[in-house]
Amino acid sequence: MDTLLQVLLDGMLNGMLYALVAVGLCLIWGVMDVINFAHGEYVMIAMYLTYWLGFLANVDPLVSMFAGGLFIFILGALTYRLIIKYTIGKPPLSALLATFGLAMLLKNLCLNQFTPNYRILSGTWLGDRTFQLGAIIVPVPQLVTAALAIVVIGLVFFMLRSTRFGWAVQATAMDKEAAELMGINTERIYLLVFGIGGATVGIAGGIMPTYLAVHPEVGTMFSLIAFICVAMGGFGSIPGALVAALLVGVVEALGGYYIAPVFKYVAVFGLYLALVLLRPKGIFGW
Amino acid sequence: MFTSRMRFWIVAAVAVALMLGVAPGQSLAQDKVIKIGTIFPLTGPVALAGQRCKAAVETAVEIINNKHPNIKVPLANQAGLLGGYKIVLVHTDSQGKPDVGKAEAERLINQEGVWALIGAYNSSVSMPASFVAERAKKIFMCGASSSAALTQRKDMKFFFRTASTDEVESQEFVDVLKWLNKTQKNAGIKSLGIIYENSVFGKHAAEEAKKAAAAGGFAVVADVPFNPGATNLDSEVQTLKSKNPDALFGAVLGADYALMVKTMKKMNWTPKVALNYCSGYQDPVIAKQLGPDADYFMGSTGYSPEFAGLMPAVAEVEKIFKSKTGGVPYDSDSIQETIAMLVLAQAIEKAKSLDPEVVAKTLYANTWPSPLSLSGKVAFVPGGQNKYALSLVTQLQGGKYKRVFPVEKADTKPVFPMKPWDKR
Repeated sequence: MDTLLQVLLDGMLNGMLYALVAVGLCLIWGVMDVINFAHGEYVMIAMYLTYWLGFLANVDPLVSMFAGGLFIFILGALTYRLIIKYTIGKPPLSALLATFGLAMLLKNLCLNQFTPNYRILSGTWLGDRTFQLGAIIVPVPQLVTAALAIVVIGLVFFMLRSTRFGWAVQATAMDKEAAELMGINTERIYLLVFGIGGATVGIAGGIMPTYLAVHPEVGTMFSLIAFICVAMGGFGSIPGALVAALLVGVVEALGGYYIAPVFKYVAVFGLYLALVLLRPKGIFGW
Repeated sequence: MFTSRMRFWIVAAVAVALMLGVAPGQSLAQDKVIKIGTIFPLTGPVALAGQRCKAAVETAVEIINNKHPNIKVPLANQAGLLGGYKIVLVHTDSQGKPDVGKAEAERLINQEGVWALIGAYNSSVSMPASFVAERAKKIFMCGASSSAALTQRKDMKFFFRTASTDEVESQEFVDVLKWLNKTQKNAGIKSLGIIYENSVFGKHAAEEAKKAAAAGGFAVVADVPFNPGATNLDSEVQTLKSKNPDALFGAVLGADYALMVKTMKKMNWTPKVALNYCSGYQDPVIAKQLGPDADYFMGSTGYSPEFAGLMPAVAEVEKIFKSKTGGVPYDSDSIQETIAMLVLAQAIEKAKSLDPEVVAKTLYANTWPSPLSLSGKVAFVPGGQNKYALSLVTQLQGGKYKRVFPVEKADTKPVFPMKPWDKR
C-alpha cells in the first residue's frame, strides 16, 4: 500500500510539472491554432538562464524563475512578431515548420554557446530536501513545483475567464474577424498570448534546474509530453491540460512501476492514442 | 590601367578561386593527404562525449602531422607519415542515431573519398557504419564503443576496436563482487540489479551482466531498462528500491546518470555496491557537478587524471587535448579515440603502403606500443578486438577516481558498503 501511495504521489508531482510546461502551449494552440515546436527549447533556455544566474550571481531558481518567465515572455513575443505573424493565414504547416526551424536554431545556438556539458546547480534553497509522511517520501522541490503549477495555471485560468483581456482572447480564438469588428486588436492579443504562453513555460523551466541537469537536449521530451497533454485535454482547454497532465504523470508512474519501467512511455502514448480515437476533441475540447 | 570591367572579372575570378579552395601550391599538397572520416554524436543526448571523442582524434592527428619531441608516443618525433603525408580529418555528426551514422559513413566513403573511418562512440552507430566500411574495404577504427557484439563478427577484416568490452567489464564486476564477499566482513552480496538504457549498448551490457552473474552464482532480481532522455527515473529507481538488490550494475550515459544518482538520493536508497560500465560515471564533469552525491559509486575506468603515475606519457598529450576541450581532461572513452588514431598511423607507417588491405593485415600482424593505454600495448585478434584492452575498477571518493581493483593496481581500499545518503 505504501509503495502504491509513493508511486501515485511521484506520478502526480511529475504530472503537475508537465501541466506547468503544457499550459503555455495550450494557450497558444487554443487561441492561435499554432503548434509551437520550439516549446521545449523555451524550457531549455529558461533553464540555462536560471542556471547561469545561480552559478554566476548566486541567485536561487526560486527567485530567478521569474526572470526566466520575463525572458521567455519577450522571446515568445519576438517569436510572434518576427516569425509567426508572417505565417498567419498561410497553410497550417508553415507555422509548424517555422517553429521547427526556430527550435533547431535555439538548440544549436545553445549547443554552440554552452557546449553539450551537463550542468547541475548545487546548493539551491530547495536542494534535495525531502520529508516523510509515514513511509512515504515527499520531495520538497517537486512539491514546490506542483504548488507553483497550481498558482500559475490558476492565474492563467482566472485571466481568461474573469478579465476583459481574457474575454478578448476568447473572442479572438473563437472568431478572429468578428473580434476585430468588435474593436479588438487581435494583433496585440496574438502577441500577448505568445508572450504569456512563453512566460508560463519560462517559469517552469526556471525552477527545473533545482533538480534536473541542464543541457541542450533537455526540453525535447518535455515538449513531446506537453503536446500530448494539450491534445488529450482538448485544444485550448486549460483545465483539460491540467487533468491530462496529471493523468499522464500517474499513468507513467503506475505503468513504469507495475508493468515495467521501459513501458512507462508506451503506457502514456497508448493512453493518448486511445483517448484521441474515442474523443478526438480531447477531454474538455471546445 | 585596368578598366572597371576587367577589375570586376579579376575580383570575381579570385573570389571563385577562394570559394573553391584553390590556392597556389595546394594541388601539390593535396596529393600527400590521407583523408580520415570521423563519425561521432556531435549533437543529441551524448553530444558531450562525442565532442570529446572528436577532440581526441584531432589531438592524435596534431601529434602525427607535426613534430613533438617532448611527447613520448610513437610518431611524435616526426612530421607526417610515409615521408610527408598529412592526415586530414573530415568530421560528421551521427546525432547518436544508427541511420544517420550509416548514411554519414556512406557519404564519407562515396562523396568525400576518405581513406578510413574512425568512430562512432555509440555501439548502435558503430555497428551499421562499420558494415558500410567493410563493404567498401575501408578500415574502421573504433575507440570507445563497448558492445562485445562488435568484435564477435569474426568475418570482419577491416574493423578494429581498442577499448575494453562490456563482456570483459561484466566479468571484472563479478570478480569484484566475489572479492568483496571474500574480503569484507559480512558482505553477503547475493543478489544483483541491472539498470541500463534501452539501446544496443545498454542491452548488450545487460546481457553480458546476466551471463557473468549466472556464472558467478549471483541472482539477478531486478532487470530495469529505461528510455534514454527520460523526464524522470522515478519508476526505475522505485523498482530497484523495492527489489533491493545487494549490488547494482549500471549502463547509464550522460545526463541520465546524473538523474539516476539524484533519484536514488530522493528515494533514499543505495545498494551495498554500485558498479558502472563506461557511462556517466566516467565523465569527470558529471562527477564534479554531482559533488559529494557522486561518491562511493564504482565503475570501470580506462583512464582518469589520477592514473598519471601509471601512464606518464599522457600528461603532455593531454595538454593538447585540454586546449580543445576548454580544460576538460581525458576520460576513459575519449583517450581510446586518440589511441585508435595513433595505432592506425603506426600501421600505415609500418606497412609503407596506403592499400587498406595491406594496412589491415599489418594491424593484425603486430603488437603496437601504446603508452596511452593502461597495458602499454595494443594487438588485435580476429574480429578486431584489442586483446590487451584493460580497465581498472575505481571508486569515487572525495571526487577522485580511486583505484580499488585489481588489488595489485589499487591505491586505496573501497568504502563498503556504500554510505547511505543520510550519513554522508
